[in-house]
Amino acid sequence: MPVKWVFHWQLNPGTTVNSQILAEVSQCAETINGVKGRWKANLTYYKPIFRDQTAPSEIPRDFIGISLPEQPNKCYFTLRSHRIVVEADLSIQNIMEKLQSYKSRVTLVFEGFQYHLGDFQVRVGKVVPSHSENLRGIVMEVEYLPISSLEKSREIMEDFTEIWQETLSKRSLPGRFIHAEPNFSEFGLSDNYTSQHTAVQYATVMAQLIASAQSVPAVRN
Amino acid sequence: MQHQALPQPVSISSPPPSSESRAAEAPPMQVALAMDRLSQAARLIADIRLGADRLLEALFVASQPHQSTKPLQFFAKEDASMRQHLQDLRSIGKQLEETGVINESLRSRSNSWGLHMPLVCPDGAVVAYAWKRQLAGQAGASAVDRARLAFKAFSDQKRRFFPHLEDSPSDQSGESVSKRRRVSVSHEDDATDYKTLSDVLAQLEKEAPNVKVFTYDRLDWLKRAALLPASANENPMEVSKEQSFHSLNRLGPDSVGAVATDKVAVIELLFPSVFRAIVSLHPAGSIDPDAVAFFSPDEGGSYVHARGLSVHHVFRHITEHAAMALQYFLGVKADTALYSILHWICSYQTLFTEVCSKCGRLLAMDKQSAVLLPPVHRLYRTISTTKVSSTQLVSSTKDQSHPSSQAYHAGCYSKET
Repeated sequence: MPVKWVFHWQLNPGTTVNSQILAEVSQCAETINGVKGRWKANLTYYKPIFRDQTAPSEIPRDFIGISLPEQPNKCYFTLRSHRIVVEADLSIQNIMEKLQSYKSRVTLVFEGFQYHLGDFQVRVGKVVPSHSENLRGIVMEVEYLPISSLEKSREIMEDFTEIWQETLSKRSLPGRFIHAEPNFSEFGLSDNYTSQHTAVQYATVMAQLIASAQSVPAVRN
Repeated sequence: MQHQALPQPVSISSPPPSSESRAAEAPPMQVALAMDRLSQAARLIADIRLGADRLLEALFVASQPHQSTKPLQFFAKEDASMRQHLQDLRSIGKQLEETGVINESLRSRSNSWGLHMPLVCPDGAVVAYAWKRQLAGQAGASAVDRARLAFKAFSDQKRRFFPHLEDSPSDQSGESVSKRRRVSVSHEDDATDYKTLSDVLAQLEKEAPNVKVFTYDRLDWLKRAALLPASANENPMEVSKEQSFHSLNRLGPDSVGAVATDKVAVIELLFPSVFRAIVSLHPAGSIDPDAVAFFSPDEGGSYVHARGLSVHHVFRHITEHAAMALQYFLGVKADTALYSILHWICSYQTLFTEVCSKCGRLLAMDKQSAVLLPPVHRLYRTISTTKVSSTQLVSSTKDQSHPSSQAYHAGCYSKET
């Protein structure tokens, strides 16, 4: 699978996220001769349901299920605190419902446009809770199609990021895109890129968004 | 029938034969006039034919009972126009005769323009003379060129779409060319000792330890290509063992046998996670490369062969550049072309890490295709076939000192003699 880096928008201190930033970023992609399309992904926080009330005290609260557009029949579960990622068939959601084992706490939707720039594919999207237009953040995916190896693609991706940041900086936006690369080997993942890598990157992005949201109150766009 | 001297339908007066030197009737003009009149004559003849049909029709209608005078009027009208056509034709005929088109009266007289009047042969064929002959001659010469190009295009297409077909014995030009090359090799005392495929591959393995080289006959390559991409975590060698290719004629470089080598038509060079290059040999079993193409290591399908094109921009650009490099190697020293091209292909192992020697960047926007690309060009003109030490080839990412593997963006690349 082609290598992908997931970025999230890190706001300058004291600023709030708004849809203007998203519009500017999209415009930027369009000026570099991008070909447009749409994309959408879902992320759900699950919490376990206990029949009896003798729940263990320490339950990880970061159990996430992610569905990605490039794998329509799969669902990816991560438990970031324990460095676990699992690929499952979409029917697992039926099982979870029937067994009443896990209930969704909150679902977030990543939605936006994608651009094909030569051998690169760039996706820019907003992060909103489902059934709400409350903008929680902005994410970006950059994919380099010819290579599947994380190591071999590192310099190319860094170079592209630099070019991209340069282009964006001309628009004086409050903040920038950050790529926080998780330690994939801790999750048992290899150098060869897969959708599990994407899932882990999204879980990391969510952790970052939550951390920054806790320091700034979330505002409506 | 009255033979009337009607005013001529053509407004240009015909020149008397002796006035060729008059400026207003320069030879090209005469020839143009003659061609013009010939076409007028042809039109008149067509009109006459039509008129004859109409006359017959009028006669037929008139023969029907209960007709008015209409057919008679029609007949009279047609009669008049037929006569007019015939007379026009006669006058044009006279003009043509006078200007020497119908007979050969002027043929012996050549003028300074080298032009001759067109000649109408007894069987009706119009033979245009020198000026048209010149054009015809050019057309003939270009026809030879075109035929050659067409033949080459057809044989290219055949190789591309039917690479598993054995080339027919009538493919004379390809075989004779390579025979000629081989003959010249045997006459020379060649210093390089890469005369067989196994020599070439052995030498290559020494110089580029990261590369995986495989050889196939054409049909086996097609089978393998269709099964690509191998699952990313598996070694391609393991995959093929699992799928038990009974007919896979795979030769490792250390097991090249004399019998099997004469079937080898495809060489695969794989730099894991970087690229896969396919080189085709023609004829099978020789060391004469005839095509090369680059692909992503994850690409698979029946289009992955030496005349195919990758879906990725970066590899398409490299494939184009490689075609030129191959032509260069074949032109400069054909007997070592295979070694040169394989050696040059290995310089691409730094494709995604080595910056451009001119601008110092890794990614740059290619102006022609408006796509961001790493340096897709590698110098080939300065490459020599002398043995290169392995340390130089396995260059670190920041090391750009080795001349034969200097990388350039397409836009930064300038032709050096």
